[in-house]
Amino acid sequence: MSALSLLGAFGTLLVAGYGLLALLVGQKTRFSLTEQIAFSWLLGIGSVSLLLWIFGLFVHGGLLPTLVSIVCLSLGFVGWRRMVPVPLRRSPTPCEIFLGIIIVIEIAIVFYLSFVHTLGWDGLLNWEIKARYAFANGGVLPATYLSDSGRAFSHPEYPLAIPFTELWLYLWLGEADQFCAKAIFPIFYVGGTFLLVALGKRLTGRTWIGLFLAAFLFFVPQITVEAGSAVVGYADFPLSIFYLATIGCLFCATEPKNDAFFRLYAAFLALLPWVKRDGLILWTVAAACGVFVILRTKKSPLFFLGFLPGLLIICGWHLYLSSMHALQAADFVPVNLETLGAHLNRILPLLSAFLAEFYNLPTWSLFWFVVAVGVAYLLRRLRDPGVLVLLTALVVPIVLYLFTYIFSNWPNYLEHVGLSISRLLMHVVAVGFLIIILAVSRRSEKNPARLHHAGVATCTMAGSERTPVVELASGNRHFA
Amino acid sequence: MTFRFSYGRIAHVLLWCGLAVASLGVSIPKIYSGITEYPLLSTGPLHTCDSYLRFTTGKSGASKDLISIFQSMTASKRIIIFTRKDDAFSSGLGMTTAYLASPHLVRLFEINGTHPDSELLKMNPDEVAAVVFCRMNRPNWLPSGKVFGSGLEVVPIPEKVRR
Repeated sequence: MSALSLLGAFGTLLVAGYGLLALLVGQKTRFSLTEQIAFSWLLGIGSVSLLLWIFGLFVHGGLLPTLVSIVCLSLGFVGWRRMVPVPLRRSPTPCEIFLGIIIVIEIAIVFYLSFVHTLGWDGLLNWEIKARYAFANGGVLPATYLSDSGRAFSHPEYPLAIPFTELWLYLWLGEADQFCAKAIFPIFYVGGTFLLVALGKRLTGRTWIGLFLAAFLFFVPQITVEAGSAVVGYADFPLSIFYLATIGCLFCATEPKNDAFFRLYAAFLALLPWVKRDGLILWTVAAACGVFVILRTKKSPLFFLGFLPGLLIICGWHLYLSSMHALQAADFVPVNLETLGAHLNRILPLLSAFLAEFYNLPTWSLFWFVVAVGVAYLLRRLRDPGVLVLLTALVVPIVLYLFTYIFSNWPNYLEHVGLSISRLLMHVVAVGFLIIILAVSRRSEKNPARLHHAGVATCTMAGSERTPVVELASGNRHFA
Repeated sequence: MTFRFSYGRIAHVLLWCGLAVASLGVSIPKIYSGITEYPLLSTGPLHTCDSYLRFTTGKSGASKDLISIFQSMTASKRIIIFTRKDDAFSSGLGMTTAYLASPHLVRLFEINGTHPDSELLKMNPDEVAAVVFCRMNRPNWLPSGKVFGSGLEVVPIPEKVRR
């Protein structure tokens, strides 16, 4: 029964996400199956959690999941009518099959890890708590919870994408179940892997590079086995996958006539602050990159409307919190010149703490060193707006995170850093992988003629690698 | 398909292969120990709370008992939870109890030492459903409550508490 309920919950979620994907991308751009699954999952998480929150303002009890299910199925019906085209298939090479098998084994291990671990501290007390309380209150967060000073430790002001996805599972299961709630998180790992494979193919024109790098995601200890990893119910890894989708789509949107990717970028951008409060910083960085792409590629000013959904979510959530008299976090002092001046002496110790984290081998292995090599490779390609977007999306959030600790309200701000830095850095890990992918594929840039024969490295057409469609793409700009 | 030989290409391939092998060399022992460290334990709806309570108090399946105690009390009254400053276990126990105490409002007191007498005396017993002691000593003048393993005691408060 539980398995069937979980299937129903995940099924409706994916159906809603697929419908939204179909509405956003239309029928001109081809998306591989892995992309469609990953995008559908992310859009499904966003739409179901937002629907539960918005409908929950007006109804509760049995009517709430019924209404949300109806909307999910309606979206699915739209998706079925508009079917996102899949590229023509080709036989995988032995190397791709081998890498694919490795990734499947890794995914199985991540599922196993997620079930042997309990929810982590924040996973239980910051996220799952909201799902449990909302479930017990007919699908709506109790107003008393939001203003209860005794539960301020659970950050009632945090956004609801993850807890309301757990709530969606609970509504289908008919009970709040901490064990089943964990099923969500390895699926984010699957989505992240699929996206890396797909974006790797789009960025370089070769499937094996995406597969190879996606297989390496597993070998970053912070992602798989460290505290705050992808399997313990924290929002950090899901946020990193949403950020990957946002930046990956923006990279592809730098190509002319690739508006479908810009619409996807706008959708994922809007969801960043809905996943975690820190997503607001990522939203700011990704939105700035979006403005740059619009101006640099001379897109229509109408594209600026793409920032509207995110602004609506940010403002809507803050309005909701203030109308519910929700407690505000006390982790940071107000950001102003006075506090900045008073805490300037923190900059050097903070820099030192960040640097120490980068070569913390048990947590990160050689990941940051490899990313640094990748960045060095890409420095001479800064004229490419896509490369500039990737580097900005990697570096600026790290600088901003460092900057926020200047305003830490903790008595020992370095303890604050120590407890959260690895999770914050995790937000940009997937983007770091995109940089590595581009750097590894350096060969294509050296020899564009060869690239033309091997396949194609444009975001528009990479989904159709080695198909007749490739021939039509020869006029397009090469990415890698 | 032709393969063009160049020193740049060889250096590129060697660099990335070297980085890949070195990364694997550093990561695999850590990942392996992470995978083999934990066995599959309980799979119940409260398995995270149960695991934590078992770890801190030694008592299995305590979450369900705690929930039923809290549910038997008047929902409009607060649960008061005492935890020790500078004791992470006590603090964790307090937050886990607060999590389970829904729909009651809770108030967490983090105090120095293990004797919360002065804070208790300031309370209005009419507004309190229960007092929870997390790795703290219950004052002798308070009736004994339900004890969960070592370190967790829930004392239901009747209408009037007399010293």
